[in-house]
Amino acid sequence: MTIPRTLVQGALCASLLLGSLQVADAAAGDKLVIEAGRIITQAGDDIVDGVIVIENGRITAIGAAADVEKPWDAPVLGGPDFVASPGFVEAHSDSGMDRSNENLDVTPFLNVRDSIDPVSFYFEDCKRWGITTINVQQGNNTVVAGNGRIVKPTGMTVEEMTMRPNYGFKISIAPKGGKSRATQRQALERAFGDLRSELEELATDAQETKDYERREALAQGRDLEEGKAPGRAMTGTGWKVEGLENVDRAEIDEKILPLLEMVEGRHDVFLYCGAPMDVQPAIDFAAKNGLTARTTLVLDNSCWKAADAIAASGLSVVLDSNLVHVETDVVTEEETETFVPGVFAEKGIPFALSSANSSTNSLWFQAAVCVGHGMSPKDAMAAVTTTAAEIIGLGDQVGSLEVGKLANVLLLTGDPLDMTSFVEQAVVEGSVIYDRTKDVRNKHLYEGVEPRGAAAVETEEAELPSKDDAK
Amino acid sequence: MSDRTLFQLGAPLLFGALSLTANAGEITWEVVETAEPVEASAPVVKLLLSADKIYTAAGDVIDGGTIAIAGSKIAAVVPGASGDHEGLHVGAITPGMVDLSPRIHLADLSVEESSETIPYLSTTDGIDLFDKRWERLLRTGVTSVMYTPADEACIGGMMAVLKTGGEPSIEDRLVEADVALRGAFGSHASRGNHPVYGRPTDHFSRRPTTRMGTEWVHRKSFYDALAAMKNEERQFEGWEILASVLEGERPYFVQASATQDIRTAIYLKEEVGLPLLVVDAAAEAWKEPGLLVRSGTAAVLPPHAPQGRTAIDNGFLAWNTAKTLVDLGVPVALSSHGQSSVTGQLGAQAGYAMRGGLTRDEAIAAVTITPARLAGVDDRVGSIEVGKDADLILWSGEPFAATSRVVGVVLNGEVVFTSSN
Repeated sequence: MTIPRTLVQGALCASLLLGSLQVADAAAGDKLVIEAGRIITQAGDDIVDGVIVIENGRITAIGAAADVEKPWDAPVLGGPDFVASPGFVEAHSDSGMDRSNENLDVTPFLNVRDSIDPVSFYFEDCKRWGITTINVQQGNNTVVAGNGRIVKPTGMTVEEMTMRPNYGFKISIAPKGGKSRATQRQALERAFGDLRSELEELATDAQETKDYERREALAQGRDLEEGKAPGRAMTGTGWKVEGLENVDRAEIDEKILPLLEMVEGRHDVFLYCGAPMDVQPAIDFAAKNGLTARTTLVLDNSCWKAADAIAASGLSVVLDSNLVHVETDVVTEEETETFVPGVFAEKGIPFALSSANSSTNSLWFQAAVCVGHGMSPKDAMAAVTTTAAEIIGLGDQVGSLEVGKLANVLLLTGDPLDMTSFVEQAVVEGSVIYDRTKDVRNKHLYEGVEPRGAAAVETEEAELPSKDDAK
Repeated sequence: MSDRTLFQLGAPLLFGALSLTANAGEITWEVVETAEPVEASAPVVKLLLSADKIYTAAGDVIDGGTIAIAGSKIAAVVPGASGDHEGLHVGAITPGMVDLSPRIHLADLSVEESSETIPYLSTTDGIDLFDKRWERLLRTGVTSVMYTPADEACIGGMMAVLKTGGEPSIEDRLVEADVALRGAFGSHASRGNHPVYGRPTDHFSRRPTTRMGTEWVHRKSFYDALAAMKNEERQFEGWEILASVLEGERPYFVQASATQDIRTAIYLKEEVGLPLLVVDAAAEAWKEPGLLVRSGTAAVLPPHAPQGRTAIDNGFLAWNTAKTLVDLGVPVALSSHGQSSVTGQLGAQAGYAMRGGLTRDEAIAAVTITPARLAGVDDRVGSIEVGKDADLILWSGEPFAATSRVVGVVLNGEVVFTSSN
């Protein structure tokens, strides 16, 4: 049964206690208009004096003020002094978790859901600096990590934050703490080798059972009733175990089931390479296990040296936040600097940038540094918006301001790549999730206004309420 | 044509002809025919640099200008930039930056442990010029620094101003020795010390062990020096250096980060009379800026931290601190504490101060001419003026913008660093 929406809202309005809930509900469902002196769409040219119309969390119209009809009943945000930009997309992050690494080697049965802290400072900072979509994956210190999740930085529970649950797995080609590269590769081989032998065993058992039933039927002189296969055949482009259709998937140990799903090409995989020498093994590992179509390489900044191999593989990459690689000559000690994104741009490899911290070294700054090294602002912005969205499979949902996409919009006081610009308001799916005028911590940091309770009150000057006032 | 022709690379610089070009929009570069043979002593232009904007830090911003360098000095700064000469053309040029708190010391190995007051030591005797951090600082555009000792003595010796590049010898790099005396308040001066118990032979068994003790050592030292100035019999090792500080011949650079330590430093200045006090790592100066104004104290700010808390005594540096102090007329210098990372370097600190409200011109002053003045070396470095050292930063665009970077550095008239990507 569907309860009419107006009825629900009416009921909520009636309750003073639930008044605040009603506001949130209305904001998610209702209309909003954003005006800006300049709109950076990342889907074509910038719009001067533009308007964005949002309904039910999505963009329904965008264009120059003269061309777009504004709904008469929609609240209006922004104005001619503001710049609107798509919310930034963090293509890969291990922040916001209680701990980012599990000490077991192979843990695809774990889920970052149980580790994400909705009130962590990281997510608060994401709002402040305009990151509206975050792919949270376990850290790089692993062999096969737990299941990741795409979230938005708003909500008091992980469920509220979630954009895409159970999304992606981190696999590390670089050795985790305590391992050599040889033992890391062995552990990785074993994880998938064990999967294969276990599946083969299950398939063999199932086949034997089936054969026994057939022989029994033959001996008894009756036709064997061919029932529906309990499982389904293995798919994927890597290796296959024949006869898996005879195995009920529920019989497969849940600890290895996610690995099977990976081999079948049903999960995105983020392969971490800690050095150029990890890159080719990563590409080969992905191909061998049928992961290539859904693999993104997460790279240490030295991996630009393997850019040719990456270009040949056709894989996309997420770059380390340290954009300048410094190499020291072992003999002369001379230091050579390489601007890493420049190498990938030149080879035509799609890349996303990542944040080193959630503020000064956040995505906007990474993009700005790229502009400083000669990249066009549009290309640099793409690495933190559209390309990042495509890497995490949300290219049709977020990353640019277009009709039909989710309304993740930043209203900034100036160009997003300018050091002196601030995010004034951030809108996620049509709801305002951040307002600088109400940001107490921001006022503390930028204006020296201490939050209430942080500074000691000088008692001789403070006026104490009299007993009469209390009445 | 000849009246608009000035100088060219390798040609003698003719100051007479130069004045004619001040209003010329374009400059052509060719050899000037002179009736008189050029004197051997006339400076020879060896490098021409032009930029869309030249921030001189001496009051001017020149839109489209050219700098001529002869020897190691700036020979001319003129409006007008021509693309057809043999020099370099960049987005902007600023003076090389001056960092008063680079902290390139050998960690605890540079802490003299014989006494808590060692004014007679000179940091020039303990500098490792082969440290890679010099070169990294130079790449980020820092061309001069004041070499600071580790702040684990109360009065920690005299500091020198050095260039960050050149031949690795003190003679070559020294701008001026013993320009300022170093002191420290806060927890660092007593860190690791403990009173005499348990292991009496341990060299950490020494005073002071608290902030109170640190302040006591400072006051006693300066009162002893005041006595020594009047009475020959009361002279002690290093008294004349403390006396020079009391007489205003040298500034006293004192580390004080938390607001209580800044108060202590300023109260000491007012009590014993220290004409030139500079508070280094003055993170919490924003809390009581009136104290700095009242006492005429200058401030060196530590690097901005993303969440405000800085490394030294956890001092909270609000990002509008530089703006607040500059608006009140307090001389403010920014510092990097030796960081050369994209987000830590001195240029980034200037950008953050701009995010906190400083104008670009004020930010430039806070990393060039103001620190040069505080260290007393502004006759040689800190601004783009004829006759000063040719220490320059070549920027791809507006200085300190997140979308700009240092594409070249000129030190003593030589291009010491260029970056192509």
